[in-house]
Amino acid sequence: MNKTTVAELVKGINDLVTLPDVFIRINQLVEDPDSSTADIAKVVSQDPSFTVRLLRVANSPFYGFSSTIDTVSRAVSVIGTSQIRNLALSTAVARSFEGLPNNLVSMENFWHHSLYCALVARILARQVKVRRCEPDAVFTAGLLHDIGELVIFNRLPEQAKESLLMVLDSGDEIPVYQAENQVMGFDHAEVGGELARQWSLPPMLEECIAYHHDVRQAQRYPLETAVVHIANILALMAEIDTLDPADVSPVDPLAWEITGLVAAEVIEPVVREAREEIAEAEKLFLGK
Amino acid sequence: MAPAPTQRLPLALPGFEHVRRAWHNAYEAFAARLLPGEYYVTQCDEGVYTTLGSCISACIRDRVSGIGGMNHFMLPASASAEAGGWKSTDLSDATRYGNFAMEHLINDILKNGGKRQNLEVKIFGGGRVMKGMTDIGARNITFAHDYLKTEGLRVTSEDVGDVFPRMVLYFPATGKVKVKRLRSLHSNTIVEQEVRYLETIAAKPVGGEIELF
Repeated sequence: MNKTTVAELVKGINDLVTLPDVFIRINQLVEDPDSSTADIAKVVSQDPSFTVRLLRVANSPFYGFSSTIDTVSRAVSVIGTSQIRNLALSTAVARSFEGLPNNLVSMENFWHHSLYCALVARILARQVKVRRCEPDAVFTAGLLHDIGELVIFNRLPEQAKESLLMVLDSGDEIPVYQAENQVMGFDHAEVGGELARQWSLPPMLEECIAYHHDVRQAQRYPLETAVVHIANILALMAEIDTLDPADVSPVDPLAWEITGLVAAEVIEPVVREAREEIAEAEKLFLGK
Repeated sequence: MAPAPTQRLPLALPGFEHVRRAWHNAYEAFAARLLPGEYYVTQCDEGVYTTLGSCISACIRDRVSGIGGMNHFMLPASASAEAGGWKSTDLSDATRYGNFAMEHLINDILKNGGKRQNLEVKIFGGGRVMKGMTDIGARNITFAHDYLKTEGLRVTSEDVGDVFPRMVLYFPATGKVKVKRLRSLHSNTIVEQEVRYLETIAAKPVGGEIELF
């Protein structure tokens, strides 16, 4: 078996997939305590396609602002700088991964599940009471949670296929990440976490991506990671159009405990709400 | 699936020794894994399962003796099928493969002691799992319905069509069945298995004679 390490695997990706300039510069500005809203608005304005997307999203029911937002600086000030970073990443990442094709899953199916996870995470975050959980931040984490899968599918197609066949041969009893661990010695969550690290994405995103199948490991952002873990499973329910949790993998009880959310109260309304939102969200974020 | 089986592997009926079987802890039973084009008949209390894209699985059993099994098939595309004319010639190349799959399953059940009047049938699959392609799943469903109607066999339950791949697990001894919709992550892998099966049947056409019973 190929002994590729996760770090080597991800290093090879950086030549194939680059994050757009606009994101990298926004990311730097958000991290920089001396930068102003005006600085960020200026960077955004230099990228016409991101400007258009930002204004579309800012004026969509997604944010539900009462008045029209017609300038970038107004959008930046009402949406907030760290949310602009999330938005830049959300709208850029699907595009940038077009350079990483694979034969195992269509990009459409991949982003369909990811977007469901993002929507569910956002809905859940609004219901979390234990402490503030930023809906836009976990939206982005949800959107990116399986990003390691695209790396594995592109770089290790044979092993990736073997993993998927193992899942099917088990009658869907073995989860994908466990099959990957058996075949490769690592899984897509680990690979995605490493990619987030090499890309210097915010540590919260890195942790949510790396531990969405293993909430116990999350040290700094257990709440956000738990939200993404639950969101991933509820996204599968939305995707296969079921309200019965027995039809998908179980949620780790620890995730319910950390979030203070109650399965019986949350699952059905959240899955329904995500199903209502998906078509609009696909238009906004996947440009359909 | 690490824990050891609590039973012995049931004896396979003659002709089915090659089908891969394994212990499934979740169901505490052995189960045979079918790939496209295969079928399996058993008189023991064991499961048969498969994963379906646009293919069909018929699950048939003698509800009195419990002998039964499952097949997994699809009709190959043909020129007449594309023209929408496959229905009018029921012995066209396309339907021949469906007849072949259904008759093999039914004949083996009867050969091993099943009674025709006791047969109950469940059908699954025929999903439109790939967007933008012609709905070959619908064609397979129509074939299965027509075939069973012509043969006078009663369908007691079905879960067909829609856009999902499926995992179907069937216990002929009890008639119990578990259908699980699969996420679209698995669509390509399942479709690839089905396409490979279609290529093998295209390369090796079945003979014109079908043993009738």
